[in-house]
Order: sequence, then C-alpha cells, then structure tokens
Amino acid sequence: RRVLDVVKEDVYEAIDNREGSFCAELLSFKHPHVANPRLQLASPEDKCQQVLEPPYDEMVAAHLRCTYAVANHDFVEAYKFQTLVAFQSHKEENWALPVMFAVTLDLRIFANNAEQQLQKKGKGQPSEMLEKAAEQLMSCFRVCASDNRAGIEDSKKWGMMFLSNQLFKIYFKINKLHLCKPLIRAIDSSNLKNDYSPAQKVTYKYYVGRKAMFDSDFKLAEEFLSYAFDHCHRSSQKNKRMILIYLLPVKMLLGHMPTHQLLRKYDLMQFSDVTKAVSEGNLLLLNEALSKHETFFIRCGIFLILEKLKIITYRNLFKKVYLLLRTHQLPLEAFLVALRMMKVEDVDIDEVQCILANLIYMGHIKGYISHQHQKLVVSKQNPFPPLSSVS
Amino acid sequence: MNRRRSRRISHSQRRGAPSEGQWRQRDKEQWQGEGKAQVRQADEEEQKPRQHEEDTVPKGTCQTMCPAQELRDREAQNRLHHFEMLPGTEKDRRPKGDPSRAVKEYSRPAAGKDSTKPSDLRPPPVLLKTVNYLINDIAAAPSLYPWTEVYTFVFDRLRAVKQDMIIQRMSGLDCVGILERTVRFLIYASYRLCGEPLRLYDPRINDIHLQEYLSWLLDCYMTKTGPHPNQEEFQSLSLLYNLGSARTMQHTMQLPLRLRSTPNIKLALFINQAFLERNPVRLLRLAQKLNFLQTCALHRHLMTCRQDLLLVYSHGYSSRNCRFPLDRLAKLLFLDASLTAQLCRSCGVEVNKDNQVVFSKAAFTEPGQGTLHCKLYHSIASEKQRDLTVKNIVQSCVETNKK
Repeated sequence: RRVLDVVKEDVYEAIDNREGSFCAELLSFKHPHVANPRLQLASPEDKCQQVLEPPYDEMVAAHLRCTYAVANHDFVEAYKFQTLVAFQSHKEENWALPVMFAVTLDLRIFANNAEQQLQKKGKGQPSEMLEKAAEQLMSCFRVCASDNRAGIEDSKKWGMMFLSNQLFKIYFKINKLHLCKPLIRAIDSSNLKNDYSPAQKVTYKYYVGRKAMFDSDFKLAEEFLSYAFDHCHRSSQKNKRMILIYLLPVKMLLGHMPTHQLLRKYDLMQFSDVTKAVSEGNLLLLNEALSKHETFFIRCGIFLILEKLKIITYRNLFKKVYLLLRTHQLPLEAFLVALRMMKVEDVDIDEVQCILANLIYMGHIKGYISHQHQKLVVSKQNPFPPLSSVS
Repeated sequence: MNRRRSRRISHSQRRGAPSEGQWRQRDKEQWQGEGKAQVRQADEEEQKPRQHEEDTVPKGTCQTMCPAQELRDREAQNRLHHFEMLPGTEKDRRPKGDPSRAVKEYSRPAAGKDSTKPSDLRPPPVLLKTVNYLINDIAAAPSLYPWTEVYTFVFDRLRAVKQDMIIQRMSGLDCVGILERTVRFLIYASYRLCGEPLRLYDPRINDIHLQEYLSWLLDCYMTKTGPHPNQEEFQSLSLLYNLGSARTMQHTMQLPLRLRSTPNIKLALFINQAFLERNPVRLLRLAQKLNFLQTCALHRHLMTCRQDLLLVYSHGYSSRNCRFPLDRLAKLLFLDASLTAQLCRSCGVEVNKDNQVVFSKAAFTEPGQGTLHCKLYHSIASEKQRDLTVKNIVQSCVETNKK
C-alpha cells in the first residue's frame, strides 16, 4: 500500500510542477518501477481516484493495470490498457510531450508483442494490432499538427517528428509505405523541420530515405540516407550499420562501389561479392551472391533493389566488350558470347537486343542497334557515360 | 523516485476537490469513459472464448441459399431475378420464387436494419453450397442471357456471401474454399468481359473487389497453419494480377522457401523480374508457359508490356536507316502481323510498304485513352482456353503448367 501511495504522490507532484520528463519516467516501461510487484495491481482505480484528478487518475490506473498484465506476460491485455493511457496522453499542454513520447513508444512495443502472441495462437488478422496502434498514434499526430497557438516554445508541434518516426516504424513493418506520404508532407511544410533534435532528424531521414528507395527515387534516397549516416552518432555502430544496409545498394545503383574496409568495419561482408560482381560485369557471380545471402537481403527488404543491379552489371559487362573490341560497330554476337562466358545460358540474340535497347533507352549507352547489320553502333564520344551522370 | 519534495499538498487544497467524505462514486462504465470504444474494439477483435463474447458473435441457422423471409418479401414485391423464378411463372404478373434457385441478395447495411438475425444468416456449409451453385449452375451453365448479366447476378450474390462471412466473423479454413472460388471467378470475368461497355461491366469495380477477396484469402493462408493445397496457385495468381507491385513481391519473398520454390510461384516471380528489368521480350516468352487462368490474371498488363517493347525499341533502334522486319516483331509480341501493324500505328511507329518497321525515338507516342482495344489482342489467352469449360476454370484445383 505504501509503495503505491509514494508513486501516486510522486506522479501528483510531477504533474503539479509540470515536470514532463520525470512524469514520463513514472509512466514508462523503461523505468524500473514497472518490475515492482506491489505496483502490479488488477484494480487500482479507487486508489488512483483518491489522489489524482482526471485524466491522470485513469492514466495511472491504466498504467498500473498494464504493469500487472505485462508481469503476467499478457501483451494483448497490456496493449488494451496502454491504449487508454495513450488516449489521454495528448490532452495536456506541451510540457507533457515527453509523457506522450514514452507512452506511445510503449504502445507500439506492446502492439508488436501482442501481435506475436496472437499469431502464435493462430488468432486475429496479421497486422491488426499494429494498425490499431497506428490509428491511435495518427490521432496524436493530428492533435500535435493542428496545435496553432502563438508561442512556438509551447506548441505541441514539437511532437510531430517523434510521432512520425514511430508511425514510420509501424508502416514499414506492416508493409504499407504509402501511408507515410501524408506525414512526410506535413513535416515538410512545417517551419520546425530543421529544428528538431539531431537524433529525431537522423531517424526521420533514415525512413524517408528508405521510402524514396522504395519509390525508385535513388537520387533523393542517396541524399537522405547519406545525411542519416553522416549525422548518426559515432557511437551508435548498430544504427550506422542499419543505415548503411540501405545506403549501399543506392550508391551502387548510382555507380559508387563501397570499399572493402568499409564493409569490414561495419560487418557487412554480404555485400562484398555483390560489389565485385557488379563492377566486373559478372552476372554469374551476382546471381550466386544474391542467392547465397538471400535470407539476409529479403529480411532487410533490399533483395528487390539489388536485383536492379543486374542492369548495371549488364552495362559493365558490355562496356568491357566495347573496350576489348576497340571499334564503334560492335557485332551483337560478341555480347552473346560475353554472356555465355558468364554462364548465362538462357539469353538468346533477341533478348540481347532487348537488353541493349533498354540500356540505350535508359541512357547507359549512346548509340543505336542496326538490325540489318546485326551490330550495335555506338557514339564515338563517351558511349558509356559514367553511371552517376545517368538516371 | 528520489525527487520528493518535503511539502505535501493536502487534498483539500486541490482545486475543486470534493470534501474528504465525499468521494465521487464512479462505476466501471464511467471510468472507462471515452476510452471505452477503444477497449471494446480490442475486445471484439480478440477471439478468446469468453462467455459474454460468444453471445455477441452472430451464428447463422438458415439452411437454404435464400432466407425464407427474404424470398417471401421479394416475391411479394416482384423483385425476383429471372434466374430465381419458378419455371413457367416468369411471364406472370407476379412470378413465383423457386426456393431451390433463389439466392440471398446483397443489401447495403443501414441504420436500424438488423443484419444479425440467425435465421437470415447462412452457416459456413450452406455458404459453400451457395457458391458452388452460383458457379456450376449459373456461371458455367449455358444461358439464354448474355454473360454480362450472368456475371452481375453472380457478383452480387457472392457479395452477399461475403457479407454473411463477415457478420459471422468467419475465419481461416471455413473461408478458404469460398474465397478461392470467388477469386477464380473474378479473374476469369476480368478477361472474358474485357472490352464490354461500361454500363454492363466496370473493370474498376471488379478489380476493387477482387483485390479485397485476394487480400483476405492470403491473410487466411498466413493465420491458419496449413495444409493449404491451393496456396501455390493463389500466391502466383496474386503476383501475376499485381504485376510489378513491389508490395506483392516483398510479401512473396517473405514466404517460406519451400513454398516460394514451387513452379507456379517461381514462374510468376520470374515474370515480375522480367517486368522490373524492363525486358518485355523475356516477359512475353515466359507468359507462354502460363495456364489459362494465370494468363487471365496477367492479361490486363500485356498491353502495357507490348507498348513498352515498342517504346524501348523506338529508342534502341532509332536511326534513319532502321529496317526491322515486321514478322520478327510480330513473333516477339506473340501477335499476328496485321495486329502488330495495327499496334504500331496506334503508337505512332511507322511500318513501311515493305513491311519493315522504321523505329524512331521521336515518333513513338503513347496511344490515347481508348484507342487500344485490349480485346483485340487476347490471342495469348484465347489459345489456351480451347477445351476448358467455365466450370473447369473456376472449380479446378492446381492446374499444371504447359512446359
């Protein structure tokens, strides 16, 4: 009984004194208080009502019931109660933003855990809980975005980037990336966008960069992911590695291969064979490398993008043919021979023509195919423009 | 917890606090307050067998394809479809309904309308029976009526089946059989009715519903552990229908390897890869290996692929002296020479009097809306249909691919 009173009074004072961060700790699952069995109560409503005013009585009671549920490993229940806490968390002034951050973070985490639990029992539709969490976070976001009070220091708009980042995590997990668009638009049009904390900005740019990758906007993706990588704190090796996983394929598509040292430093040797294959124009090695690390690439969601490297690989191979033959009128047979040497058996002369036509269309080759002469006629000047200048 | 102030604020100093002896009595309802809706949602979606919940999930008891009440009502209001009339009474002022052929129709949910009466809802076995009837006896049967009408009737009645499934919170294996047949029917329809006037058939509406059913079906495969004997077929149909969709591909890549390596899914993946690599020559070749229904699923993308080939070749072969044999092009496009010439004309690609195509990057133009009639170019599919009946197509289990 006493422990509960102490906590409640601390919460009461924190609220009264508008101590956002402290209050956040008292409602966060990162804080050790949640492990205290004397707080894990099934029905704490009365006790909360005795000390606290609404909405805090409900919030704290729900929070305590949540700790009870978590202690029993029932994440579906935990999610339910966390929903109630989160629902009330955006009603306060902006001093309570840290509270909202802590609560929504836990909400997302519980949604994840609850989903896993439901899936194990074979119940519920996939992504159901995460979608609901997203709806709630979205309503918090709208409250923040529409906060139009005069003083910028007091505005809840400061919560927008944090919530966006939480929502991005969910949308990427449930594979509904198109839902990121309204968030990006809202942040982009906000005058605060450059003033959020460095950590929030890095996370934001990371997700927006990944979205751009998905939309095949590689120049934009490079810009955002590079920012994230450069500004990510030196000590967060894990985060830097995560950013690199997405930055590398984009850079490779733009013609920049990573060095061996970089790959070794961040423990990303899965990319080393891919890199080698692409620069050498070695399709066989590329296919082998992609299939060898398939699980890793699929899990990270970059397998499909890496497949796009095939076009770059063709370009590199065909450039070698050009450099070898030293003529501007290249017989189509030569390309076919080159492919056969790379053990690519299932491509015939018709497909070679199609691949070449596509490379010309994309601007990777300057020239034209002459069907009558069965030759690729390339420009005398710079027939294979550097990759970074194309696309 | 070390930031405790020594000064304690007594309760009575709080603004508006009730005096010591009068604690507000709040019952549970009030406590939950605005958050109630959220909690109820979470409760409803959960399928934990709790006593009060079992009472709230409606369970159908209607053993006929059409609830008796509805049949009486529609008969009285003269709202029977001619497929549902007792033979011989069609010309009467008020035709009689045939209980063995009447099917519950779709009706929009409305305020005040109770759609959960058990006598109006059909349980899973009846729903499956209904779907089989609709396919075998209506869609697949010879009819005096145009197939657009057959489609409209079956589409509507299938929608009512879906409604019953949703109201009864059906899930998993009960749904799979129904959804599989529905998806096959809609995919077949998307091909057969392609080109019909908008007032008789709207491809967009077909697409919206098809995507919903397909999505639900794939979710069922995910949540209920198998065996799902037809999963290979439907994952591949999904890939083909949604050609080029990164989302569908990513979903497929995350399926277990064993499933992903089945022939139908592999082929569908290769076709998607050929699309993403912009290699229409390869794509059209691979498409030859698809069976009839798979071709139906893919067919709406084929026009785009063929146009793309002309676009890419317009650039790749662009030169004043270009002479590309029309016959060769026709072979690549899997069309006959005259259709190829027609397609070229629609895209601004010049074919000279010697049947040579003169590609030029400046000349290619996107054909205007409605100038290309997909139906004219259906040969890839129609050739495969040959001996297949509608019943074969929609009721089949796994069809083998042509090698």
